[in-house]
Amino acid sequence: MWYYLDPYLLALYGLTGAHALDGLIGTLLLSLVVVVIGEFTISLVFRVNRKHLDKLNSNLKKYSDLSQEALRRGDEASYKALNKQGNDAYGHVFFNRFGLSAAALWPIFFALDWMQPHFAETGIAVPFYPSGAHYVVVFLICYILARIVFGRVKRHLPYFKGQYRMLQSYGKEDSDSAPLKESHPRNPAD
Amino acid sequence: MKQIGSFRKWSLILAVAAAFALAGANSLWAQTQPAAPAQPPAAVEQKPAEAKPKLVGSDLGLPAKLGVEIAKAPEGKGRGQIDPSAPRGVFGVPGAPQPSSILIFLWAVWVGWVFSTVGAFGGIMAGVGHMTVYGLGDYVRTFRDTAPGLNKTLTDSIRTSNQFLVGLSSIVSVINYLKSKRMSWPLGLALGAGSIVGAYLAASLTGGKVSFSQYQGWFGVFVLVVGFVLIYELTPKGQAGKKAAKAASQAFEKTVKEKADITSAGVTLKSFSITKSTMTFFGTDFSFSPIAAFFGGVVIAAISAFIGVGGGFLYVPYLTSIVGLPMFVVAGTSALAVLISMITSITTYINVAGAGMDWALVGTQLVGVFIGSMVGPRTAKYIPEKWLKLLFIVLALYVGIGYFSRGFFGRSWVPM
Repeated sequence: MWYYLDPYLLALYGLTGAHALDGLIGTLLLSLVVVVIGEFTISLVFRVNRKHLDKLNSNLKKYSDLSQEALRRGDEASYKALNKQGNDAYGHVFFNRFGLSAAALWPIFFALDWMQPHFAETGIAVPFYPSGAHYVVVFLICYILARIVFGRVKRHLPYFKGQYRMLQSYGKEDSDSAPLKESHPRNPAD
Repeated sequence: MKQIGSFRKWSLILAVAAAFALAGANSLWAQTQPAAPAQPPAAVEQKPAEAKPKLVGSDLGLPAKLGVEIAKAPEGKGRGQIDPSAPRGVFGVPGAPQPSSILIFLWAVWVGWVFSTVGAFGGIMAGVGHMTVYGLGDYVRTFRDTAPGLNKTLTDSIRTSNQFLVGLSSIVSVINYLKSKRMSWPLGLALGAGSIVGAYLAASLTGGKVSFSQYQGWFGVFVLVVGFVLIYELTPKGQAGKKAAKAASQAFEKTVKEKADITSAGVTLKSFSITKSTMTFFGTDFSFSPIAAFFGGVVIAAISAFIGVGGGFLYVPYLTSIVGLPMFVVAGTSALAVLISMITSITTYINVAGAGMDWALVGTQLVGVFIGSMVGPRTAKYIPEKWLKLLFIVLALYVGIGYFSRGFFGRSWVPM
């Protein structure tokens, strides 16, 4: 696979002709490609599995809310039972999120696989470190930057803006169940 | 005030873990001692030529400790030897197994299926993939006598690959919980600090020192423990506990008529000291000992890093059942502890112990895992939960006995 892609990927590392800048710009562009592929994959997972994910999340939210209510009422037995049920529900959500993590992160490892033979020995020359920094470190920093940049522009991009709206609704659901949004005063008498 | 920090059960777990650690340290100590000569010195002197095979003498372009150990391995085409001209396999080692991408992908689909239906057992299946299905275990074992250093370095690479695969789940979870502020920071910091210490100690003290056989043996013990937990859950006693919790939950749910009643009140820190910290949640005070949380983090992270698993399945029961904290707080806090522990142990294995990584292997596995986790929920509903549990009990006992016997006694008691 790399045989065919190698010339194109290497071209990313020769855009300015300035050695130290090329390393940084090339890795940033590569990171951006990785982020876009990951975001596209995770959008597919959401589309295919949304119903199931909704069910798992609402199940977890139900036990979470009920256990809080039990606590508020001072019903220790119910609280413990609901915590146990919530434990099981959380397990399902946790491992399904693993699937989502995998969907978003898999391209990172192929990028690192391509970078290893090219930069493991020499490192990547970057500004203020022309002798070459470790390729994994440079990639991870660029990847975080690329994620931040893409996160800001994706709401304006044709395909991704729909996915952005969908994820926003998930974020809202999450924060709706956040404990710090105190909408009612606590009743110490309970 | 309701004192919830009952550590009786936990002290039992700590005692068992300490016994394991002592046994492990003992076997490591035994391993690092110079082996007794198999022959009297005079006999060795008679055959000086046989005692020194030709070594590879070059790192063959492989990074860090892997390259160093490859250079010290005997050169040749036989078992336990490195043939520099052979095609490169896993971790870039010439002559190492080259599992096909299709096999890696299909096994990872199975791992993802298990993750999405049964949970933590997916991590065990990932380990089985690395050790048995991809053929890495048999290959690494060939260096036991010829190149022990290479045997141990490749074992670290397998452990790190396992942990990469199972620890990634925490990344997305932590981001979500940070956004929704569902973290107890004093608890998270105490647990996280313990996780850093435990993961670092396990990775740095055992990295480069555990042979593949030892690792496989301990992995087998771990799988057997998981198998016994699954068996317990199927017993009338285990079932009764679950049924009681379900019935109590349903009864309470019925009493809550109006959803509007259910409001969130948040966690506020009331007092903090090294030995006792109190937080208020719905007008109820929860006390926990930061020092106990710290040591809990040390033990759980050390076990997770040693076996090469994520640890979420240990943190969550510890915090809910033993410390007694509400699920609302536990979910995010445990995900944070898993992430900290995973980052610590992976970086320690790679930087301190010099474990090599096969990035394409991890990438291909992740593709399989997310496809498997999409397929899982659609297919698992056709299989009764009891049958699924029985299937994994059989698998756990089979794999556990096989790895335990192969690792510690040199031959498997079940066909493998």
